[in-house]
Amino acid sequence: MTAQARPRLRRSARTRQAAPIAGALSWLYALILALPLYYLVVSALKTNIEIFTRPFHLPSLWLWDNFSTAWTQASLGKALANTALICLVAITVTLVLAVPASYALARSDTKVARAITGAFSAGFLIPPFAALIPTVILAIHLGLFYTREFQMLFLPASALPLSVLLLTQFMRTVPSELVEAAAMDGVGQFRTLVHIFLPIAMPGVVTVTILQLLTFWNEYLFSLTITGTAPDVRTVQVALPTLISDSTNYGVLAAGTVLTVLPVYLVYTVMSRRMQEALTAGAVKG
Amino acid sequence: MSSPLSTAPPPAPVTTPDQPPRRVRRGPRSARVLWFTVPALAWFVVFLVGPLAAMFVIATLRWKGLIYEPTFVGFENVTRVLADPVFLAAIRNSAIQVGIAVPVMIPLAYMLGYHLYTKPRGYRLLSVLYFSPGLISISVTATIFYGVLSPNGGVNGLLSLVGLDSLVTPWLADPSTALATLIFIDLWRGVGWTAVLMAARLSSIPGEVLEAAQVDGASRTRVMWQIAFPMVKSYVSTLTMLQFLWTLFTSAALILLLTKGGPGNSTTTLSYLVYAKAFSQQDLGYSQVVGVALLVVGIAGMFLIRALLRSDLEDER
Repeated sequence: MTAQARPRLRRSARTRQAAPIAGALSWLYALILALPLYYLVVSALKTNIEIFTRPFHLPSLWLWDNFSTAWTQASLGKALANTALICLVAITVTLVLAVPASYALARSDTKVARAITGAFSAGFLIPPFAALIPTVILAIHLGLFYTREFQMLFLPASALPLSVLLLTQFMRTVPSELVEAAAMDGVGQFRTLVHIFLPIAMPGVVTVTILQLLTFWNEYLFSLTITGTAPDVRTVQVALPTLISDSTNYGVLAAGTVLTVLPVYLVYTVMSRRMQEALTAGAVKG
Repeated sequence: MSSPLSTAPPPAPVTTPDQPPRRVRRGPRSARVLWFTVPALAWFVVFLVGPLAAMFVIATLRWKGLIYEPTFVGFENVTRVLADPVFLAAIRNSAIQVGIAVPVMIPLAYMLGYHLYTKPRGYRLLSVLYFSPGLISISVTATIFYGVLSPNGGVNGLLSLVGLDSLVTPWLADPSTALATLIFIDLWRGVGWTAVLMAARLSSIPGEVLEAAQVDGASRTRVMWQIAFPMVKSYVSTLTMLQFLWTLFTSAALILLLTKGGPGNSTTTLSYLVYAKAFSQQDLGYSQVVGVALLVVGIAGMFLIRALLRSDLEDER
C-alpha cells in the first residue's frame, strides 16, 4: 500500500503547478501525430473511391484483400526475408567487431586509445550519407554491387562509431577488483573479455543490438542504391515504395505500409521499455 | 572532437550520478590490448573514412557516369557548380529547411519533453505516440504522407470536411507549398521523438532541485527555463547538432520519394542534389563537389550550434 502511495505523492508534488496550455498543446501534437497513422490504417481497408470520398470514416466494407494484393505485388515476403538476413549478419559482424574494440578502449587510457575514441566520435557525427557515391564505387570495385553481401559488410561500419562508444561506457562499469583478480590468476585478455567483461556489459550488448537492428531494418537510401531494386535482393524498405509507382491504389499502398511497420511495432509492444532505453541511449533515429 | 555521448544520458549502469562508475585499473598491458581495436578500425577506415576521403578526389574528376573513365579536371567542377543556379537554389532550400525545422523543433521538443517529464495525465499514451515516428522508416513515412498529402488525400479531405475548400492544394506538387510541406514532415517526425529524449535526460536530474524551486514560488515557466534548462543545456546542444545534421544530410531520401526535387527546383536541397547529380544526371564530379560543400556546411553548422549553445557549466550535474 505505502509503496504504491509514495510515488503517487511525488507525482502530485511535481504536477502541482498545473499547466493547462502545455497539456492542451501536447495533446494537439499527439493528434497531429496520430491522424496520419489512423488515416493509414483505415485506408488500408478501403477502396480508392472510399479513401477519397470519406477519408476519415471507418471502411464501409472491410477490404482485407488489399493486404494480400500488397503482399504479392511487392513480393513483401521475399523482401522481409532479405531484410531479416541482412540485419542478422550485419548485427553479428557489428558485435564481433565492436565488442573487442570497446573492451580495449575501456581498459586502456593511453594517448592512442584516446585518439581512437576521438576518431569513432567524429565518425558518429558524420552521417555516412555524405559518402554514398564513393561507397557505391567501392561496392563496384569489390564486385559486390547490387548484392546483399555488400550491405552486410557496410552496415556494421556505419554502426561502429556509436556501438563502440556505447559499449565502452558499459565495459567501464566492470569492477577493478575482478580485473585484478583475473590478471593475478594469469587469465589472458581474450578470456578476461569473454568471461568477465562480456557478462557484465551484456545490457550494453542488448542495447546496441536493438538500436542497430532498428537502424538496419529501417535503412533506405543505401539499400536502394547499393543492394538495388531487383526483387531477389531488395529489402522491405525498398520494396514498399514500388507500390507507389506500380499502382495508384492507395488502399494497397497503405496495406503494404502497415505490413512493413507491423514487425517493428510488434517487437516494440513486447519490449517497449528496452527499446526506449536503447534509443534514448543512442540518441539516434533511423 | 569530444564525444557527444558524454553529454547524452548514459545507459543504465552509468546513470546514477551519485555513484560514479569505478574505472577499470589500467595495467602495464594497457597498450597491448589496443590490438583488439584493429579489426573495428580497419572496417571503419575501409567503409567509412575511405569513401569520405574519396569524395574529395572524385570532386576533381570529370566523370560522366560510373561506366565511363574519369579524367582529372582540377577545380573545373567547383567553378561549374558555383555558377549553377540549381546549386544556389539548393543552398537556399537547405538553409530554409534547416533554418526553420531546427529552431522550431528544439524549443518545442524541450517544452513537450518537460511536460512529459512532469508525468501529466495520460503521459504513457503520449510518450508512446511521440515515440512512434522513431520506429518508422523514411520509406514508410514517405508512403504515409504520399497518401495524406496527395490531391485527393487525407489533408485535403479533412479541409473540405470542415468547409475550408479554398485551402485545398496539391501540397507536394505546388511550388509554393512543397518545401514548407517537407519541413512540416521533418517536424512531424522530429518533435515528439526529440521530446522523449529530452524527458529522459530531464528525469536524470535530481527532482528535489526543481521541487524546491516550486516550493519557493517559482512559476512553472521559470522552473522550466531558468532552473531545468541550464542543467540539461549541453544535452540540448547535442540534440540540436544531431537534428541539424539529420535534417541537412538525410533529407535526400524523403525528397527522392515524395517530390524528386520539384516542382521546378523548389525542393532540391543540397543532399538531394548530391544524389540526383550522381544517379539521375550522371555527373559524379559535380555531385561530389556538392557533397564536399555539404560536409563543410555540416561541420561549420555544428561548431556554430556548439558556440551558440555553449553550456556555462562544463558539466551540468
